[in-house]
Parts: sequence; structure tokens; C-alpha cells
Amino acid sequence: MRSRKRHRALMTALSKKAIPFTMVLGLFFALQTPLARGKTTLVFLTWKPNQPAVWNGLLERFHRENPQIQVKRQVGPHSSTQYHAIATQRLKNRDSSMDVFFMDVTWPPGFAQAGWVAELGSWFSRAERREFLSGPVSANTYLGGIYGVPCYLGAGLFYYRKDLLQQHGFAPPRHWDEMIHHGQALLKDQGDPDLQIYSAQFKQYEGLVCNMLEFIWSNGGRVWDGQGGTSCLSKPATIEALAFVRDRIIGKAAPQGAVNYEEPESLELFVQGKALFHRNWPYAWAVMNNPKKSRIAGKAGVGPLPAFPGHQSASTLGGWQFGMSRWSTHQEEAWRFIEFMTSHRSQKFLALEAGLAPTRTSVYTDPEVQEKMPHLSAFLPAFKKARPRPLTPLYPMVSQVLQRFFSRAIVERSSRLSELAQVASEKMDKLLELGARIQK
Amino acid sequence: MTRKDRLFYLALLAPATGMLLFFVAGPIGRSLYLSFHQIIIGFPQLDAPFVGLTHYQELLGDPVARHSFLITGIFVVTTTFFELLIGLLTALIINHRFPGRGILRASVLVPWAIPTVVSAQMWRFLFNDAYGTINYMLFGSDTSQYIPWLAMPGTALLSIIVADIWKTSSFAALIILAGLQVIPEELYQAAKVDGAGAWRRFRHVTWPLIRPALVLALLFRTIDAFRVFDLAFVMTQGGPADATNVIQLYGYKKMFVEGWLGYGSAISVSVFVIVLILSILYVKWTGQRLLEAKA
Repeated sequence: MRSRKRHRALMTALSKKAIPFTMVLGLFFALQTPLARGKTTLVFLTWKPNQPAVWNGLLERFHRENPQIQVKRQVGPHSSTQYHAIATQRLKNRDSSMDVFFMDVTWPPGFAQAGWVAELGSWFSRAERREFLSGPVSANTYLGGIYGVPCYLGAGLFYYRKDLLQQHGFAPPRHWDEMIHHGQALLKDQGDPDLQIYSAQFKQYEGLVCNMLEFIWSNGGRVWDGQGGTSCLSKPATIEALAFVRDRIIGKAAPQGAVNYEEPESLELFVQGKALFHRNWPYAWAVMNNPKKSRIAGKAGVGPLPAFPGHQSASTLGGWQFGMSRWSTHQEEAWRFIEFMTSHRSQKFLALEAGLAPTRTSVYTDPEVQEKMPHLSAFLPAFKKARPRPLTPLYPMVSQVLQRFFSRAIVERSSRLSELAQVASEKMDKLLELGARIQK
Repeated sequence: MTRKDRLFYLALLAPATGMLLFFVAGPIGRSLYLSFHQIIIGFPQLDAPFVGLTHYQELLGDPVARHSFLITGIFVVTTTFFELLIGLLTALIINHRFPGRGILRASVLVPWAIPTVVSAQMWRFLFNDAYGTINYMLFGSDTSQYIPWLAMPGTALLSIIVADIWKTSSFAALIILAGLQVIPEELYQAAKVDGAGAWRRFRHVTWPLIRPALVLALLFRTIDAFRVFDLAFVMTQGGPADATNVIQLYGYKKMFVEGWLGYGSAISVSVFVIVLILSILYVKWTGQRLLEAKA
């Protein structure tokens, strides 16, 4: 009896508390409508975009067409290296709350080797892959598997002051020597002490690797021989290219300050009319032709980077891809999202609204794109030929060795290039050995 | 003390000890553990084999690490020296009574109150080669003279040192000011009666009495300077040619950029050991100074 009484008392007490409790619970679920209606929430890790409105527009469109999927964006640091640190930490910890993420063009082999990124072969068919430019697709391929879908593409492009070259009857330079020669003639004529010949990115960071590889490749050099056997950093082609940059570019054709320039600072020099030639990614075109941000709007031309005599122009492949986390519990929905973001329609939208270079070849022949962005077809040859940085899961380590080597090579005038190259070569060979051991 | 008392005291100590173990000893122990294993973030297949002291051996033979230690050493010595000097002068000035002293005292602390990342960004603009205020102040509109401060190894390190001195001198000033305020006014009056001039009053009254505060400031500043990271990270990313690649930045790059968790931990542990030794030496030294000051 006594126990039943107690039981009843307990029940009334509970129900008294239970009423407000259920109310709170109900409110909680009412606010979480997606959950209540069986919506799937996808988490998409991205960096802070330069044109947030464009990306928001694209997401809105996706939500309209896929009301059962809610994409939540998480914004990481803007710098690729720092974003990489965040992404790898989350993948390493098998964080299942992240479904889709952006990958820089050099990451897929590493992420694939670590087993962090889902193999997309069953969704991203071979036929579909042929719709894309081959460079970015090969950057997402590792040991026969496909691990990412290219969203937009980058490649080193050569911008020049069309107006001033025309005044002198010069054609755009095809050789590095020629660039310096034309530049000196124009400097003499302009008489502006602040005017520089060349502006590019020489700070000790990832961009330095891209810039220096373009010099080395355009002299017939490379980082290592075909199969990743041994380092080629001590080869004459590499040393010559480095010597050229050290002796004729830094502090001569380009200001010494370029040693601390990333993309924004170097572009600033060019859009202020203080440099005749400039190396940058495709996004720079829209900035330099925007009269609000540029003093040289309409006066610039664009084409492939110069080369050394007897060699081909080369540009470094850049750009961003979508990867799907191996730990994601919503892979079907994640693929729907990736498929949407990399469709012809979305790439066209990103090209027209944000000036991002498409990775699908069909966008380049789209009449509306051709009409509104006639320069894009001028970029295409460089895009098709753009070379990936060394494709290896050890790329982050390779990049640090290269950054250190290149920065010392162009800054420390008293060091002998061959000695610096020797040190870097030894480090590189060690890494190649480690890579071979791990891939086994 | 009864057994019960003892238990009670232990219970009172437990929360603080627990916190210390969890937040200090735990991470340090973990770093130590990691430094004895070969762990590469991108290669979970390696299974973290035990490698003993290999990483420390490697560290001894690593020329980049040696260079980083050298640079960090230069940074520590120069910044600490100038911060104490400027801090002392500032403290002596704001210890005097004059109109507007309150505002001045508060404003001295402003650089210290600004987050380092913000002030580093500010100094990056000030030192800019083309539109930096420092070049403009030095050379006016004669742009041909402009110095690309952050683009040459020597001046890049100098720039970071200047930024740190600007930022943390006020911290030294604050500690030294506290030392100055405990000196009784009567000592100065007595010295004046004895006919001591300003210099002698400083030399024989102020100096010996603020020495403990100075040593304390020295301790804090050395340890803090050893851990410099944010200034180099924001202003130069360690470049050009590794000229500002301070040891903590090198460790960060090894660990989080390249993914050598084991080797990066070995670097962290080495920095920890160095700072620990320095602290022990200083604390011993401070203890002695304090005793001398009392005698």
C-alpha cells in the first residue's frame, strides 16, 4: 500500500514537471524543423569566399531544388595552408559531422592515401570525367581511383600592359629575356621611378613554389624524374632558372619587396599602374578590369607566361575540388550536393557571377559565357597545358622543402646555388624513399 | 595535525591538483609520448611505432632547427634587453606625479592590451615596402630610398623584434612600476638631506630596491619571448629564406602543415625543457635577490 501511495505521489510530481518539460521539448523540435521533417543536414567545410553573395545564391538554388537536404556551411581560414591544417585535423579525428569539403589541387593524393576521402568511382563515372579538363581530373586521381570533383580551375597567367606595349610596337614577350628587354625600354620612356617591370609572388609560402616551378619548367627542368625516383633539383636546367630569378628578377625587374608578396600585394602593384608585367591566377583579370579597384582597367592584356629560349611556356595548375569525407554518414546526399555544385549550370553561374574558371569543357563553348567572357577562351590553351605540382601524398612535406630551397636561392645572394640545391636534393630523396615505403 | 585534518586538507587540494594534472601535466606527458613515436598525420597505416630518442637525435643534426634556435635566441636576448630598458624608463616617468598621469599610465598599457595578431597585422602595414608609414617617415616621398623591411633577412628579423618591443615594453613597465611604488618616500628624503643628487638617489636607493621587480620582469619576458609565434606567423610566415623561422613556428609547420606529429612534438618538448631550465635558474636567482634586498 505504502509503496503504491509513494508511487502515485511520484507520478503526480513527475507529471507536474512533465508538462513544462514536454512544452520545452516540443518547442525544441519545432525550431529544429529539418529534423522533425526528416531533413538531412550536410556539413560543408569551405573557406571564406571572396564573393559570398554568389555562393549563397548557388546554395539557395540547391535548397530550392532539394528541399529535403539542408547544407550547413562551416567557414575555415582563407589561407590554403591553414585551411589544410583544419581539414586534416577533422579528418584525422574521424569527424563524422563533416560531409563535404573543399580540397586544394595538391591534396587528393595525400587524403586518398590516408583513407580520409571517399572513392567516387561509383558516382563519378569515367564517361562523366571525360567532360572535364584532363589536368584537374588527373590531380584528383590516385593509384587508379578518383577522389574529388574539380569545381573551378586556376593556372598561372601572364598579364601585361597592352597599351604601353602597343605604343612601342612590341608584341607580348615570349621569352623571359625579352620581357626584361621590353620592360627596360618602356621604363626609360615612362620616366616614373616607381614603375617596375615585373610583379609576382616570391614570399616563402605555397605561391613561391608555383612561381618558381613555372620558371624551372619553362627551362626544361623538373622537381624529380618521371616515376618519382630521384630529385632533379641539382640539374643545370633548375639551377639556371633559379639563377635567372635571383640575378635578373629579384631587386631588378621586380622590387626586392616582392620577396614578401603574396597574390594581393603583387596584384596591387599592377592595378596601380606600377608594374608592366604581372603573373597571377585567373581571378586577377576581373579585378584589373574593374575601374573601381584598378587604374588600368581596359589597358591590360593576358596570355601564356614567357619561357626560356628553346623551351615551352609552363603554368602551374591550381584550383579547388569537392571531396567527400570517408566518415560521412550521408554519402548519397553528399554526392547529390557535389553533383549539383559541379554541374554545367552551376559552373556557368560561378563563371559569370564570380569569374571562376570552369573545369567542364562544355562551359567554355556555352554561347552566353562566350559572349559575356570572351577572354575565357584566351585562357583555355594555358588551362589545357597547366601542369600539376608533384602528385604525391607527401606533397605538404615536399612543398616545405621546396619553399625553403627556393626562398634561400633567391634571397641569400652569398650562398652558392649548387650547394643549396644539394641540401634540398638530399631532403627530397629522403622523402621519395619514405613515399615509396609507405605506398607499398 | 590529525588524520582527519590531513584528509580534509588533501580534499581541499584535490580540485586544484586535478586541474593542474589535467590541463598541464596531461598535455606535456602526451607531447612527450608523441615525441617518442613516429606519427605522420597523413599515414595512419604507420601505426605509430616506438622510435625512442630518434627524433631528438634528428633534431640535434637538423640545420634548419639549429638556425631556428639561433634566431629565437637573438630574438629573446634583444627583445628582453630593450623591453626592460624601455620599461624601466617608462616606469620611472609614470611614477612621478604630474598632471595627466592617470591617462598616461592607462595609455602605456594600450599596446599590451591589443591582441598580438592585430598588432602584428598593423606592423606588417607599417613596414610595407611601398606604402608603409615607416618608409614615409624616414624618406618622405623619395620612394627610391624605400626599404623593403620584410623582404630582407636582417631587416625582417629586426622588424619583428621592433614590433615585440613596442608591444611588451609596457608589460615590463607595469611590473617595474609596482616595484617602484613600494619604495618608501622617506628614503629619498633622507638621501636628499644627505646631499645626494638625482643620479646617486637612483643608483643607491631606487636601483637596489627595484632589482627584484626587474628580475621578475626579466623572468616573464625571457620565457614569453622564447615562445614567440604569432608575430612571425602574421608578419612573415617565417620568411624570407627562413630568416624569421622562430623555433615555435618551425614546430608548428612540422606538426600541422607537414604532419610530422612525432618530430613536431620533439621540438615542443625541447622548447619546454629549455624554458623550464631557465625558469628554475631565474627563480633560484630571484629568491636570492629577494633575501639580499631584505638584509
